[in-house]
Amino acid sequence: MDMVSMGLLAAMGALATVAGASEDLESDVGSQSNPNSQVQLAAQVGHPHRIYNKAISGEPPSNALYAALAAVTASVLMSGYGMNAFFAIAIGAVVAAIFNGIYSTTAYLGRNTSQARFNQYVYLDVLRTHTTTIMAHAYITAFCVVTISYIMTAPWLPIQHPFPMPLVAFIWGLAIGAIGSSTGDVHYGAEREFQAYPFGAGLNAANSGDIVTKAEAGLRSSIDNAWFCARFGGPATGMAFGLTVFLDNWRTTIFDPATQGWLAIATGIVIVILFNIYNRILEIRAKKRYGPYPEYVGDIEA
Amino acid sequence: MSVAAGGGEAKIDKTKLMMYGLGGGVLGIYLTHVLNTITGSGYFSFLAGLGVIAAVVMGSDAVRRVCAYGIGTGVPSIGLMAMGMGLVAAMFGLSIGGVAGPIIGIAIAMGFGYFVGLLANRIIKMNIPVMEETLMTLGGAGAIVLIGLSVVVSGEISYPLIISSVVDTGYIAILFIAGTLAILHPFNANLGPDETQDRTLVHTISTGALAMFAAGLASLATIGGAGFLTVIIAVIIWIKAFMWYFQLVKRDSSGVVGTGLLPEGGL
Amino acid sequence: MMAFDANMVLYIIEIVIGGLLVGVGVHFVPVGGAPAAMAQATGVGTGTVQLAAGSGLTGLLSAGLMMSVTDNIALIVISGAVGAMIMMDATMIVGNWVYIYGVGVPPCSAKVDYDPITKEPQPPYISPGTVGHGIPTVSYVSGTIGGLLGGAGGSLIYYALMSINQNPGLSGFFAIGIFVVNAVIASYNIQGTIEGFHDPKFKRVPRAVQACLVASLIIGIFAVLITGGA
Repeated sequence: MDMVSMGLLAAMGALATVAGASEDLESDVGSQSNPNSQVQLAAQVGHPHRIYNKAISGEPPSNALYAALAAVTASVLMSGYGMNAFFAIAIGAVVAAIFNGIYSTTAYLGRNTSQARFNQYVYLDVLRTHTTTIMAHAYITAFCVVTISYIMTAPWLPIQHPFPMPLVAFIWGLAIGAIGSSTGDVHYGAEREFQAYPFGAGLNAANSGDIVTKAEAGLRSSIDNAWFCARFGGPATGMAFGLTVFLDNWRTTIFDPATQGWLAIATGIVIVILFNIYNRILEIRAKKRYGPYPEYVGDIEA
Repeated sequence: MSVAAGGGEAKIDKTKLMMYGLGGGVLGIYLTHVLNTITGSGYFSFLAGLGVIAAVVMGSDAVRRVCAYGIGTGVPSIGLMAMGMGLVAAMFGLSIGGVAGPIIGIAIAMGFGYFVGLLANRIIKMNIPVMEETLMTLGGAGAIVLIGLSVVVSGEISYPLIISSVVDTGYIAILFIAGTLAILHPFNANLGPDETQDRTLVHTISTGALAMFAAGLASLATIGGAGFLTVIIAVIIWIKAFMWYFQLVKRDSSGVVGTGLLPEGGL
Repeated sequence: MMAFDANMVLYIIEIVIGGLLVGVGVHFVPVGGAPAAMAQATGVGTGTVQLAAGSGLTGLLSAGLMMSVTDNIALIVISGAVGAMIMMDATMIVGNWVYIYGVGVPPCSAKVDYDPITKEPQPPYISPGTVGHGIPTVSYVSGTIGGLLGGAGGSLIYYALMSINQNPGLSGFFAIGIFVVNAVIASYNIQGTIEGFHDPKFKRVPRAVQACLVASLIIGIFAVLITGGA
């Protein structure tokens, strides 16, 4: 353990937090992954909308694509043309953002066309205004993830992971997609999509598809949704991915894996136990603060 | 995403698609190998990319057929599994077969796909009639995509060359995921009651061209300047396929409007 | 082409055990699918394969780093398991933050009347019209176990492949491929959503064990015969 390693570790943690936030906001502007099922359902139950219906097969594969593409482009530029790392990673992230734009556009066109019988139009101005926002967020995500992978694999830096850089970027892309899909998307799906319903309850099955389509003035657009989710869902996802990257690499930075491997594992197990205890405390506090439902009729005591 | 999967009936026969996919894929790979070895350069690598586009269309139609039954876990899983099977089978075929490697790899991948379909229907008891046949087609498509894109990057069917130029550099990551998304993105993106087969398959041509573009980018480092030919041809194919797709979108949708409020049902 | 000898059998067994760990681990991960993302069902609001693959492959990264400096199989496999557990736990904690503070619901499950670990009653806290929401203690512990099994399985497959072909990139990718095949077969078994080991669907594990055993065996036989290239 030395100061350079700790400094690099801190940089990786910060990059991961930014990447997590931008990944979640990208999926909120595009309405990707699971909350999109409600957007899909909305037109079918008689609520056509102007939300960006982007369906790219789920966040883990698509974020893995952007990260891997950016990493491969950066690797080609660095090894084949001798370019500086930062420029290469930036150009790679641009190519990934362009791919994102193409996939998002075709997904929006395809999904809305396949709902023609419910009179769901294809709005070209939604495409024009939102696609660039989505591409910008994807650029930030790809840049940060590839920089993390570069720090982990560069031969002149301390960590020197044995996997090639595109493979590490692929894995982190898959992980960030899984994390973003599990955490930030709930804030978008359960809270923002159904903001007309009172705070403090899950979505009643009878209200499926009844998403908010009218905004404070005019019609709801996905950029409004990203504005809201940037207040909580986005940073929370950033915390999740930042914690994962930081804690995973912190154990092997403070304890040298070759000689103190068992200490690193023991640290990890202590962290896992602390997480479990913290979850229990969280659950007790939530139940105490919110209490049982007043309308609850049943014979099991709270 | 289990709402209203896949709408229209199939107008293009699946056996014809399978013939074009398998035949086109194998033809493209071998043409690349033969022409590149004869001329000693990398200029013909794009032919394997064209074969990959044919195979991807075949795979996308198989995804369309199996997901119409609502398999409950969504479209991405089946695409990932197809590529996972295709990866091991393709590498195995290449490592033992020499120049006949691709055919061995594709055959093993198809066999494995059929076998997993049997497992899913007999042991897991999913009871989906087309499971074996579609997983076999998907395994074959996955293997052709992986071998084809690897040959685009390396230029020849030679196992040590593929290992050093595709696997050791890590470029196989983008080949894997771009191929996966090329197969499963079109059906997922066109999901809905008014989905039509021709629109989905035209969309597949454009995603296949994107995968070819990614492989061409990677080949710039391994083959050098000859990779630019692959990149340019991929861009041209993508532009044409995207324009065609947009024409079909205008044909099928209830309205492609520049701007506007919601139709009568929404306000 | 490698000569077939006694060591090969050991590697095939390791790959099969790794595949089984992955398949069983997927059953422990609490996944609610699309309804959970709308706080309509208990569990993490994502797909089974997505979360299992995300955590298992993060574990694979830790195992890969460990294997580049040591050769101890226990150290490598446990290190991979711990990496996967940390990712799974961090994800579930932040998921609970969003459920509790963002949506305003207490974690509870509708499949059981009393939480098996904390013995607390569940039905009074369930929102009307839903089948539970959030990640209660039993699902959290189940998820941690799922992360452990998935990470250990992926690392074991990686260890076996590295012992044969000494190529980290090739072994890493094969491990991903075998991991995904087993995870998808297991996810077909649970049909998309499961709350953890207390869920009645958990009794279907034996079927997944059989299917993953056969699939891993076939893939393992092919994988051990592939050299690292020379």
